[in-house]
Amino acid sequence: MHAIDPNTLATAAAPHLFWITSRAAGTAALLLSSLSVCVGLLMGGRIVKGHRAELRVLHEALSLATLGALLAHGLALLGDGYLNASLANIAVPFLGSYRTLWTSTGIIAFWALLALGLSYYARGRFGVARWRKLHRFTALAWVLGLVHSLGEGTDAGQIWFLAMLAAVALPALGLLVNRLLGSAPIPRSADSAPIPRPSVAR
Amino acid sequence: MTRSARTSGQLDAKALARVRREAMRQRAHRIRRAVAGLTAALFATAFLIIYVQLASGHDPALTANAAKRRAAAASATSVESSTESSASSSEASTRESPATGESASEESSGGASAVTTSQS
Repeated sequence: MHAIDPNTLATAAAPHLFWITSRAAGTAALLLSSLSVCVGLLMGGRIVKGHRAELRVLHEALSLATLGALLAHGLALLGDGYLNASLANIAVPFLGSYRTLWTSTGIIAFWALLALGLSYYARGRFGVARWRKLHRFTALAWVLGLVHSLGEGTDAGQIWFLAMLAAVALPALGLLVNRLLGSAPIPRSADSAPIPRPSVAR
Repeated sequence: MTRSARTSGQLDAKALARVRREAMRQRAHRIRRAVAGLTAALFATAFLIIYVQLASGHDPALTANAAKRRAAAASATSVESSTESSASSSEASTRESPATGESASEESSGGASAVTTSQS
């Protein structure tokens, strides 16, 4: 391969900036959500003891970062001149014509993650126990996101993408399987507290 | 335990709680900042990889487009090469491109030609 002229680099990639942004944001969202699922499963299982408050803050921050990256992933497509997607195309499942099934899987996964993630802030309204049961479906939404990225993602066949994904998604899948195979979550009442409070020393 | 001793003990506990709360608040702040940094780093890394990949002519979608165009051009110019091009066209159709519309594919071919130029 010959040396690449920087001007040619810029000319070649300039019309695709929105598309590149969307792909990069999607990749970031996938990695962040995998990390968030890992932390969530570590918190809920019997694997990590202690540091609960820190893990909860980390889980929350990773989840919010995932939602931000997912918004960027979808909204950047609106500016892409090749796809010419409308807001409805990227927000309503089974509406767009481009790889409808895979795209719809991603859209459904996004709405599920958004609803289940933000429901944390309203868990007092419908009960913590009910919220915790509902929150388990986040893992399903994450799996849908994985399916979307591997089925539709332009970079799904690239080694760098698969390596990055494997580094975070495989541990999360392992933890998820471990949870599903019977290790029950630790019952705790601290989840009902909106802000973690350190206990007073006796 | 005398009343004054209990009061000072309560004060100590309150002070300790305040210190611990403050420490937790700072830890939470550090964690949030680290996650924000991680998000930015992940996005920037992925963006750079995709950008360089695309600009150097190795993007999976655009190389598929270029292959399609080459195949179409070949089939238009000669009958002999049309058999060859249909083979590469069928190969290219298995890959994905985001271009869907008429104008989109025109623009896409412009971008992809710049990509293939940079390769040669």
